[in-house]
Amino acid sequence: MAIQVSGITKQFGSFRALDAVDLEVRSGELLALLGPSGSGKTTLLRIMAGLEFADSGSLLLNGEEALSLTPRERQVGFVFQHYALFRHMTVFENVAFGMKVRPRGQRPTSSEIKRRVMELLELVQLAHFADRYPAQLSGGQRQRVALARALAIEPKVLLLDEPFGALDAKVRKELRRWLRKLHEDIHITSVFVTHDQEEALELADRVVVMSQGRIEQVGSPAEVYDRPASAFVYEFLGQVNRFDCVVADGVARTANGALSIPADGTVRGPAIAYVRPHDLGLSPSAGGPGRVSGIHVVGPDARIEIDLAGLPLEAEMDRERLSALGLRLGDQCTVHIDRARVFPQP
Amino acid sequence: MVAATTSDAVLPNSGGTVLSVLRKPSVLPGFGLTLGFTLTYLSLIVLLPLAALALKAAGLGWSGFWDAVLTPRVLAAFKVSFGLSLAAAAINAVFGFIVAWVLVRYRFPGDRIVDALVDLPFALPTAVAGIALSALYAPNGWIGSLLMEWFGLRVAFTPLGIAIALTFIGLPFVVRTVQPILQDLPPEEEEAAAALGATRWQSFRRVVFPALLPALLTGFALAFARGVGEYGSVIFIAGNIPGLSEILPLLIVIKLEQYDYAGAAAVGVLMLMASFALLLALNLLQAWMRSRHAR
Repeated sequence: MAIQVSGITKQFGSFRALDAVDLEVRSGELLALLGPSGSGKTTLLRIMAGLEFADSGSLLLNGEEALSLTPRERQVGFVFQHYALFRHMTVFENVAFGMKVRPRGQRPTSSEIKRRVMELLELVQLAHFADRYPAQLSGGQRQRVALARALAIEPKVLLLDEPFGALDAKVRKELRRWLRKLHEDIHITSVFVTHDQEEALELADRVVVMSQGRIEQVGSPAEVYDRPASAFVYEFLGQVNRFDCVVADGVARTANGALSIPADGTVRGPAIAYVRPHDLGLSPSAGGPGRVSGIHVVGPDARIEIDLAGLPLEAEMDRERLSALGLRLGDQCTVHIDRARVFPQP
Repeated sequence: MVAATTSDAVLPNSGGTVLSVLRKPSVLPGFGLTLGFTLTYLSLIVLLPLAALALKAAGLGWSGFWDAVLTPRVLAAFKVSFGLSLAAAAINAVFGFIVAWVLVRYRFPGDRIVDALVDLPFALPTAVAGIALSALYAPNGWIGSLLMEWFGLRVAFTPLGIAIALTFIGLPFVVRTVQPILQDLPPEEEEAAAALGATRWQSFRRVVFPALLPALLTGFALAFARGVGEYGSVIFIAGNIPGLSEILPLLIVIKLEQYDYAGAAAVGVLMLMASFALLLALNLLQAWMRSRHAR
């Protein structure tokens, strides 16, 4: 089912959480709402679910106006960051809840409910835990129960609010893969909120980058990463070196003249240049302008801090390349930039 | 768990005292000191007076005790005391719950004042409450005269009056036990229920209420225990007609005034046993409910 958001605005007191947001969620896709806290992503998700009310705008669920509908009428599955399982109910009762509260005429028989619940618990690999209480499960297991519970009402849309936010790094990664696979199996239109760019880029079909109640860019993970529409998107989607510079004749120069970067033709005057650490090349040179001021090895990667005539830079390469270069702490080097993005000064 | 305790007990330097057998390894210091203090304190403040009471009653002997206790007057008072305390606690459970709900869930002008009002039955000398209530509900009082006129209902100097007094003094217990739990109830659980298609009533009945039930039961037990022991407010409104509106505490006072100390102690022991049995049952029920979703 497709979702059409148009002109949705939401104000909390003097804070504008959403500012005339337009967005289309395509049927069957897995969409990520990505942004820092306070960017309005969760508010937008909650408005889609009917847990929050928009001040103005319209929301079409499958072509039908849905803003006036209750959550109950919208038939969306919602997964919370902190699971929100019913703590006095077993796993089985939690998953069965959505079916048991249906009006008598639409309620499945109890044997049908049992069959459905066990099927879903099978799907989330928790069939052995049907009689446990939520407090007896780990975080990852609880979130899978929450997912099974949301799927039990056969929702047309699945909305997930920072679904992995409360989990530790390893479980988060596992669950992420698992959710991706689940989505490929059942192809339900899904929207998830995250502030973790890696999560959004890895998991989603399309990524919506939000900032201050507005949408900055919508696109596939590769699109938003390779062709960021704004300085904000560039900065948010990964590690960056950021320079204030002035562009003249297609070249961006920093104030102290230590660095000049090729800029594309559209920008002129004061600007901000961004270089990703892995786009920064180093070569040892005794009289070079840069000095290695720090080396941090993280697993297979190495992060090298450079002091370029008072300008701090960060480069990233794999460990083997670093040892091939033979750079050591305190060595002089030259810096060349393989790729950069220049945005006009806001 | 079992294995851990056994292996701890066979540790060579674990001392072998009773204390070290009871004790599980813990980083919290002061187990021995605080347990010792707790036992001493409870013994002095609670157990010793109760033991003295039992000892006094024991002077009657087994059959003497039952003779003192199984008189029609004592049994009638027993029914009045426990029956009306249970009834008042039940009334408080319902209306105290609603008061707590309103205070937590809604903001309205004067909500802080209402919140403070709830504690007044704690602070007011109970005799004052009793006199005020009997003045109000007496056949010539403000409310009593109206009830008399419209329904022919007599409140003061009947068991109904006792129930009203006990409800008055028991209210804060239910409100104050339910309120914090309701306050801490995460809104997400109700939102989850709504998203899953539950109506407001279904989400209350199946999600909110079960979470509050243990606290409500605590409030009920406290209000009940308070009601059983209540004296000051009841004697003014009860009329104290033997066999009809006489409560056990009053009966004890009457026996004391007749220098029947052993008889008074016997009634005291009877109250103690019944209260203890009921409170223990309530506590076990609660423990069972909590164990179902223990963290």
